[in-house]
Amino acid sequence: MNEKITVGIADMKMARDSGVLITYALGSCIGLCFEDPALRLGALLHVMLPMNMEAGRKNVFKYADTGIRETLRQMTAKGALKTRITVKIAGGAKMFEVNGGSLGNIGQRNIESVHTILRQEGIRLIAEDVGGKVARTLLFDVATGQGCIRSYGRQDVLF
Amino acid sequence: MKIKSFDELSSLELDTLREIGSIGTGNAATALGQLLEREVRITLPEVRIMGYNEAIDWIGGPEAVTAGVLVGMSGQMSGVMLSVQQLEFVNLVLETMLGVHINDYAELDEMHQSTLIEVGNILISTFINALSGLSGIAVSLTVPGFAVDMQGAILAVPMAMYGGTSDYLMTIGGNFVCDKKQVPCHLLLSPDVRSLNFLLAKLGVAE
Repeated sequence: MNEKITVGIADMKMARDSGVLITYALGSCIGLCFEDPALRLGALLHVMLPMNMEAGRKNVFKYADTGIRETLRQMTAKGALKTRITVKIAGGAKMFEVNGGSLGNIGQRNIESVHTILRQEGIRLIAEDVGGKVARTLLFDVATGQGCIRSYGRQDVLF
Repeated sequence: MKIKSFDELSSLELDTLREIGSIGTGNAATALGQLLEREVRITLPEVRIMGYNEAIDWIGGPEAVTAGVLVGMSGQMSGVMLSVQQLEFVNLVLETMLGVHINDYAELDEMHQSTLIEVGNILISTFINALSGLSGIAVSLTVPGFAVDMQGAILAVPMAMYGGTSDYLMTIGGNFVCDKKQVPCHLLLSPDVRSLNFLLAKLGVAE
């Protein structure tokens, strides 16, 4: 059985050749599976917010913009090429339908931000399962590049 | 001095928040007791300041499915309040009020759901009323939202709200005890940092 590597909230893990990267219960957060198939190098990133406006920038993986760039930096440092890297994303749901208040739709803003940053970096987005109001657990098998999304009350989605 | 992050709270401030939690949860328990027509007590309320992943372990793992009722706060205090209802609590409410028992959240129909939303709403409103009366802060509440899903994602809602300013989640809340059995229903108040400063100042403990 493959080794499972858990990626927490605002976190990123990389694996090469084998291993299953997993991140649990993505609500409005977004999980991104990065892959360079030629190297069989994969990374799973779990971001929570669209933009890094923090002065200290302590936790780069909390935000879509700094998280994506740092992941790409670490992958290219291992020999990956940005022209080969592909990305699949899942998450960006709206868990509660609440009118008024200061809630807003963080999920939607996360999706838009991820799209924008990937376009800016010239990275191909090859699959996505985003939006809606369902939480998702995301598994990414580095050996095959296969992603799987588990949700409550919904069939597993392979992508 | 105003705090910038939840982890800067002094022990006096934490004690004050614990007291708020105690009074809020106590009032909510009384309301629940009246609804269910039986005695409901509370466990010692806790104030917790946790990192994201720690918070999810604390509530019982990311993938466990629970029902959550969420109310947004605005006015002089902003943030959210959550009532996380685990299956035991759901059954306590449904058995007493509707005479039904469920084994899985999938069995919840519309009637059951609106009962849970209403109970959650009453608990939250009672808690906030007590807080409001104590501190003289006017808080308006949104209509409650309801979700049955992985609790990791439910808890991520307040985290994402304050994620831009804090790496920590602060929760004030407690559990209920009914018929000498602890019934897990976390009532979690998560104000933002600005509101927390305002609340502490109003209560006269901001240092």
